[in-house]
Amino acid sequence: MSSISSLLQQLESFVKAGNIDQSKQSLNNLKVALLHGGTSDESAYALELGVLISVMEGDLQAFARNMAQLQPLYKSGVSTPRKALVTGLNLMHLLVDNRLAEFHAQLELLTDLEASDPLTSFPIALERKLMVGIYDEVGQIPDPSYQLFMDHLLQTVRDSIADCLEVAYQELPLGDAANLLKFGSKQELLDYVAAEREDWIMEPDKITFAPPPAAHAASDIPSMEWIHQSLTYATEMERII
Amino acid sequence: MVQDADMTDATAVTAQKDDSIPSADIKSETPSLPPLQASALRLERLLGGPKGASASSNAESNYTNPVKVIRRWLSTSSGAAADATAQDIQAAAMVLLDPNGVCANGRACLLGNNNVSTMVDTNMEVEAATGSSSAPAYLHVAAREVESWLISLAVRLLWKEKNYTQAFEMCQRGIAIIMAHLEDASNKITSVSAPLASSLFPFLARLYRLRALTTEAIKDPALNANLRVEMARAHNMASLRRDVDTQATLLNCMLRDLMEDSQVEQAQKLLSNATFPEVASNNQLCRYLYYSGRIQALRLEYTLSFSNLSQCLRKAPSNTGMGFRIAAQRLLIVVQLLMGEIPERHVFFTKGMKAELFPYLSITQAVRQGDLAVFHKVVTEQADRLRMDGTYTLISRLAHQVVKAGLRNLHVSYSRLSLQEVADRLGLPSKSSAEYVVAKAVRDGVLDATIHHEEGYMQSHDLVDVYATKEPTEAFHRRIAYCLTTHNDAVRGMRYPPDAYKKQLEASRNRRKRDDKSDEEKAQEIEEELDEDY
Repeated sequence: MSSISSLLQQLESFVKAGNIDQSKQSLNNLKVALLHGGTSDESAYALELGVLISVMEGDLQAFARNMAQLQPLYKSGVSTPRKALVTGLNLMHLLVDNRLAEFHAQLELLTDLEASDPLTSFPIALERKLMVGIYDEVGQIPDPSYQLFMDHLLQTVRDSIADCLEVAYQELPLGDAANLLKFGSKQELLDYVAAEREDWIMEPDKITFAPPPAAHAASDIPSMEWIHQSLTYATEMERII
Repeated sequence: MVQDADMTDATAVTAQKDDSIPSADIKSETPSLPPLQASALRLERLLGGPKGASASSNAESNYTNPVKVIRRWLSTSSGAAADATAQDIQAAAMVLLDPNGVCANGRACLLGNNNVSTMVDTNMEVEAATGSSSAPAYLHVAAREVESWLISLAVRLLWKEKNYTQAFEMCQRGIAIIMAHLEDASNKITSVSAPLASSLFPFLARLYRLRALTTEAIKDPALNANLRVEMARAHNMASLRRDVDTQATLLNCMLRDLMEDSQVEQAQKLLSNATFPEVASNNQLCRYLYYSGRIQALRLEYTLSFSNLSQCLRKAPSNTGMGFRIAAQRLLIVVQLLMGEIPERHVFFTKGMKAELFPYLSITQAVRQGDLAVFHKVVTEQADRLRMDGTYTLISRLAHQVVKAGLRNLHVSYSRLSLQEVADRLGLPSKSSAEYVVAKAVRDGVLDATIHHEEGYMQSHDLVDVYATKEPTEAFHRRIAYCLTTHNDAVRGMRYPPDAYKKQLEASRNRRKRDDKSDEEKAQEIEEELDEDY
């Protein structure tokens, strides 16, 4: 039975080479070995490599699983060189999933030193920009493993921008629309509109957004609710008097 | 409620008490009883002590909840407790606690801390000075309560002297002693002493809280982890025993522990799983509201947090606890800012809080201006202060609000404004980012405008008449509902003295006699009026 450290080294070499299948195999062996004893540092190393593997594969569920196992280790004070990277990846994952409450809870756990590390400050700054609405300045991603999340994020951002465009503009030339929505070409824009945004009126050189319905019909008045409210007032006043 | 076995001793105690009371009256010759002992003896009386002394109060004490008696007594004796020194406590222990009785452990614990010889010396002095009161007036009924009380006082003293390890030791021993008493009482469930066991609950709660304070000062993470498990178990026991005080205190201690460790997720789980007992003391309720408000603020649940914190501030005592109120006020201001409301100016100038809240005043002003650059500047200046207060992460979320406020200002003042101008005024990086920001703001409902892309400006729509929408109704409804709930709560909370209805009945009877006559008079008057009309 090869020792844990040699298994670790093997795993690292696989991960660096980008060899997914063999790394997963190696990781499983390592996990079994760790069950029979191993320091928490070693477990942390192994799990971090597991996280990287799941990112390479694009498997978000495995990612969440490995993160969940890593959290208690971090909490008990284990610190590894990759900690900032993995924490940053976790923040990105929460951000993309729009789990903002957990995102902020994780932020609380970071010390100042950790938060200033470019790997973690990237998602933090990103979240702030997205809240404010500055979608264009995304900046350099600090590590190639963030690419997976950036792709997801781009999709979400695009949807929000499209929503905003609908409400804020009356009409928009195609070229500008493509720019705003961060599409490479007009064709991509047309595909997107055809797929998702059927209520946009497409013309050869511009898009017109249908105005929101402004009808104030009688059905708009929430009569049942108001009747209920007035009745409550009446009963309460009756009780007082 | 009085222990039958103590009948024989009761008379002896009465005799001694009678001796000591006259000595208290003769102030010129011998000094009155040390305040600790006086309070303890008072408790003995309250709990239905010597049979001869107060027969009528016995009958009452049969029906009074011992926990309530203890609570009331604690509040009256807090003055004596505040001034107690270590010597006072030990003297009281020596005098009041029977070394051969139920409280042997507690007595040993209290006296064992200093040299017994020095104790004897001071006791000698006390004896010489206060004649008959030094004769040990061993308590019987109130023995365990006084023992726990003295232990809690001793721990608090040690904590104030920053003698944390010793304080912790004593705390652990105190808790063990009380638990032993409770075990004892529950074993002898049929004996007469059992009902009195619940009177130990407030002391248990106190010791737990003191222990939490000491462990915080010791700052040992392993210790914290161990204690967390223990506290959870104790909380469980307290809920089973319907021990409201301990339950509430432990819940607050656990929440505080988790918050200090920044474990917001765990704290949230605890909050959602544990219910806070309604009948716990007001101070505990205040603390609970503060912690829940803080957790909710961190989890982005701002409206809930706001209502909790405002309630907390309203219920907080106004004569003490300045630090607590400052902390709550600080958090309330931050949450208000995060919700998009600007707190009123007078809030920052409340008496005693002005200096503490000054950084928040400057931040609020920056938010109101709506300029991102200014806001960032102010935040970086105040960063250390904010980190110390624990509000740094919350304040950093405010960038969004700054932009909203700025945009609202612009929207109201300009009907048409170029996007470049918008970028400059808001401190945004560029014109395109301004475009995105405005678009998002329109989507969020902050402003009502359209962007003209080629010309590069934004055009505001005319303001819609608010009264034409249903917003006023909803706003009114919220306020009315709140007033009605407060009214109902007040009515439910009112307590009438038991004889009050008699007085009312008398009054109404008298009034009716008078009214009878005046009714006739009234009838006559009405007839006269009708005649006049015709």
